[in-house]
Amino acid sequence: MKKVMIGNHAVSWGVQRARVEVISAYPITPQTQIVEELSDMCADGRLPARYIKVESEHSAMAACIGASAAGVRTFTATSAQGLALMHELLHWAAGGRLPIVMADVNRAMAPGWNIWTDQNDSLSQRDTGWIQLYCETNQEVFDTTIQAFRLAETINLPVMVILDAFFLSHTSEPVDVTDQEIVDEFLPRREAQYKLDPADPHAFGALVRPDAYMEMRWQQQEAMRDTLTLMPEIDEAWGKLTGRTYGAIEKYRTEDAELLLVTSGTITSTARHVVDERRERGEAVGLVKVKMFRPFPTGALREALAGVDRVAVLDRNISPGHGGIFAEEIRSALYDVPLEDRPLLFGYVLGLGGRDVTPAVIDSIVDRTWSAKQSERQDLWVGVEL
Amino acid sequence: MSDITEPNRTGRDVPPIAISRTTTEVNPTGSWKYIRPRYEDRVAPCNANCPVGIDIEGYLYLLGQGRTEEAAALLLEENPMPAVTGRVCHHPCEDGCNRANLDEPVAIHAVERRLGDIALASPPPAAPDLLRDERVAVIGSGPAGLACAYHLARLGYRVTVFEAAPEAGGMLRLGIPEYRLPRAILDRQIDRIAALGVEIRCSTAIGRDIEWSELDEFDAVFAAPGAHVGKDARIESSNEAPTIRAGLEFLKEVNAGARPVLGDHVIVVGGGNTAMDCARSAMRLGSVVTVLYRRTPLEMPAIPQEVKEAKLEGVGFQFLATPAAARTEDGRLLGIECQRMELGPPDDSGRRRPVPVEDGRFSMIADFVLTAIGEDCDLAFLPNGVEISGGVAKVDELCESTTARVFVGGDAADLPRSVADALGSGKRAALGIDQWLRERAGEAPAALDVAALRFGASGNVSIARQRGTDPLHRAAPVNEVVEFDGMNPAHFEPAARNEDHFHSAGDLSASFGEVNFGISDREMSAEVERCMNCGVCNRCELCLIFCPDMAIHRREDGEGFEIDLRYCKGCGLCAAECPRGAMAMSREES
Repeated sequence: MKKVMIGNHAVSWGVQRARVEVISAYPITPQTQIVEELSDMCADGRLPARYIKVESEHSAMAACIGASAAGVRTFTATSAQGLALMHELLHWAAGGRLPIVMADVNRAMAPGWNIWTDQNDSLSQRDTGWIQLYCETNQEVFDTTIQAFRLAETINLPVMVILDAFFLSHTSEPVDVTDQEIVDEFLPRREAQYKLDPADPHAFGALVRPDAYMEMRWQQQEAMRDTLTLMPEIDEAWGKLTGRTYGAIEKYRTEDAELLLVTSGTITSTARHVVDERRERGEAVGLVKVKMFRPFPTGALREALAGVDRVAVLDRNISPGHGGIFAEEIRSALYDVPLEDRPLLFGYVLGLGGRDVTPAVIDSIVDRTWSAKQSERQDLWVGVEL
Repeated sequence: MSDITEPNRTGRDVPPIAISRTTTEVNPTGSWKYIRPRYEDRVAPCNANCPVGIDIEGYLYLLGQGRTEEAAALLLEENPMPAVTGRVCHHPCEDGCNRANLDEPVAIHAVERRLGDIALASPPPAAPDLLRDERVAVIGSGPAGLACAYHLARLGYRVTVFEAAPEAGGMLRLGIPEYRLPRAILDRQIDRIAALGVEIRCSTAIGRDIEWSELDEFDAVFAAPGAHVGKDARIESSNEAPTIRAGLEFLKEVNAGARPVLGDHVIVVGGGNTAMDCARSAMRLGSVVTVLYRRTPLEMPAIPQEVKEAKLEGVGFQFLATPAAARTEDGRLLGIECQRMELGPPDDSGRRRPVPVEDGRFSMIADFVLTAIGEDCDLAFLPNGVEISGGVAKVDELCESTTARVFVGGDAADLPRSVADALGSGKRAALGIDQWLRERAGEAPAALDVAALRFGASGNVSIARQRGTDPLHRAAPVNEVVEFDGMNPAHFEPAARNEDHFHSAGDLSASFGEVNFGISDREMSAEVERCMNCGVCNRCELCLIFCPDMAIHRREDGEGFEIDLRYCKGCGLCAAECPRGAMAMSREES
């Protein structure tokens, strides 16, 4: 069934198809339409889930944690300050190995107060132990939401499905809403390994002493490591049913490329357009889209970028005092690539607080990357007027 | 040396999450606490504010549990005539209601009226067993006298009530018009008191029909004669005009069934309940009525609802005005010269004293003037040993006078003059007489701890407490009133108060039918639900739900909860969440 829908509703439909059993959320722009649609679905019976109203995002995640610990499939959605308010609970969800799926609509952090997109909200939660998947289109949002539940429940880690504010959340695109039977085949009912059960009572989340804490963390790390292979496998399985796959990273026209753009989110679509134009002009320009940021696909990126002359990483985010966050991580991933294969890497910080990243902006980045003599000591801020 | 790049493979089974493998009972978290919860019932402000001493919160709780008969029984334990007070009481209970801080007070009076009417519809109670040999005489069958007789009869005494008027009821019958208190209700309520074995001798005034000495055969006497002598309004030349009369006399005539014609223009002097009753009765007799009051609406002692209803019915008001002189012609009243007043400094009552305005004379047409500026007691029939001070008898807190075996109460003692205060006075007298007679009989009962019988520090006494007949299990009761800031309002939803339904004021002439129809059963249930049960556990179970240590358990008998102090770690959540302040925290000793 193809429907024209905004990205927020693509999330809602993904959640509906995933037969989520408990939803708890607190409204925040630009996410609100996700849970608004879900509450409608709960009210009119399209989704027979329990919708728990709460007074804050902290409580929303707490409710999801409780429900997930009881063994049911749970979902929430948030954005920016709401996600920041959840911070403590994000650790509880991940450390509790609870397969909660959350949509985060990327919105810039305040102050200054801003409702438009950038990635600092989700990237600030990098070390909470959540898998992070960044989406480019509404179709990908729908598909990723469903995949996220299978991934989360297979590996017992929570998953954040991330989409750009407005460019996806409020923009309509055709979305193929996969038939329920197909989704059911792909995503069986959750079978929790551990769950709250009055017949077999246990306390969850209690004290763990130094003699066992590291072992628990190690198992979490192993799960993240396993996710590197599991995520593409699940993506392939979905592809077999629907014909749509995305990968942890995607290589676009990278054959014989001498310059590769590295992007995430909706900037990718604009960059594809620029790559196509450059290729038409005979320039050896390609694109690598990073979908999965945690766990970081170090191996895949090393394979994709090693041997290329120049790499330009476009970061719609900033780690103040350092630089663009994707650029940092990619530099780190390439460190042990042999020197002769190691590309010159250029980091560009752009589009913060929802500033437009147009084809012209990306063109200027490509031009500058071609002409630069060597890598910069620090990332360049694009289009900042001082 | 092991290879530090690989994790130690010890074969230990560490699960991926923090999950307990033994029972948490091995960890008696109660050892951590330095404060502990006290599960204690306190006192709701309505109870403490009730001059009758009714366990209002208790009967509202029972109604909420669907235990209507027990609710009625608890109400009747303290109040002999709820169908009367539900109609005419000024309900100070509602003034204290904590719900006012959330939206509006619970309409307690309307619930009491409904429950009182339900109780009236049941068969009359059986006379209690006569447990005592002593006989008690009660002078006056008003609310104080009847309450004393009622409680004494229930304590097993033989009681005879002497009433000067032809019918029992005192001021309830003589003073309160039928449109506020239908006679059928009053009659049935009195019948139920008589059914307890109380003998009521009407048309028998002490000092008129029988002598005080004839009361010698009684072991104790409770005198509650009421206040029947209207104060003189001191209107110049009023003796020349027979149509200037005491309002109370007029009311007594009308309430006895007379329907006098007063003329076109009637002036009622005064701002109390008698004045309102006079004004509204005169309206019903076809006159245009103006109330003359020397202060402002804020100082009026009348029940605000009565004032509101009087205005709705068309009574006019002249505030800051007092009658000075009558204008007459050939013994016929033409009008009244009035003096305009203004408020000066406060007087003894704390109200600002009205003082005349210079050149503030004006005149009003009047065919009839009813004065209702207060009543005095006629206590001449009392024996000499009873000390009188300020027009009332000097008595202790259980109504014992300065003369042995003589108790005095109601309007004849120094207390606010209301039906509720009179009923409360009669109840205290009953307890006082019982105690006095037991002591005289050499039973040497323990001294009555009156403070422990009161609701809170200053409420009236509770018979249920004295007799140990409270149908509700109380968790370690503490006799202190719970204020709103001692509760957790987050657990209450706002809900509008259900107001009484009134007769729409149309043509009132000659209509003395009841104007207030009360509330329906459904509205009563809604009001019961609005009650927050201040200070008293109503088994809402929030403490049990919120306790993170599962240290709170339901008692096996269903009466509330037990706290397992072995596991309570003193977090205080139960006390913080308890909506009604029935859980408190205190520091552990040492």
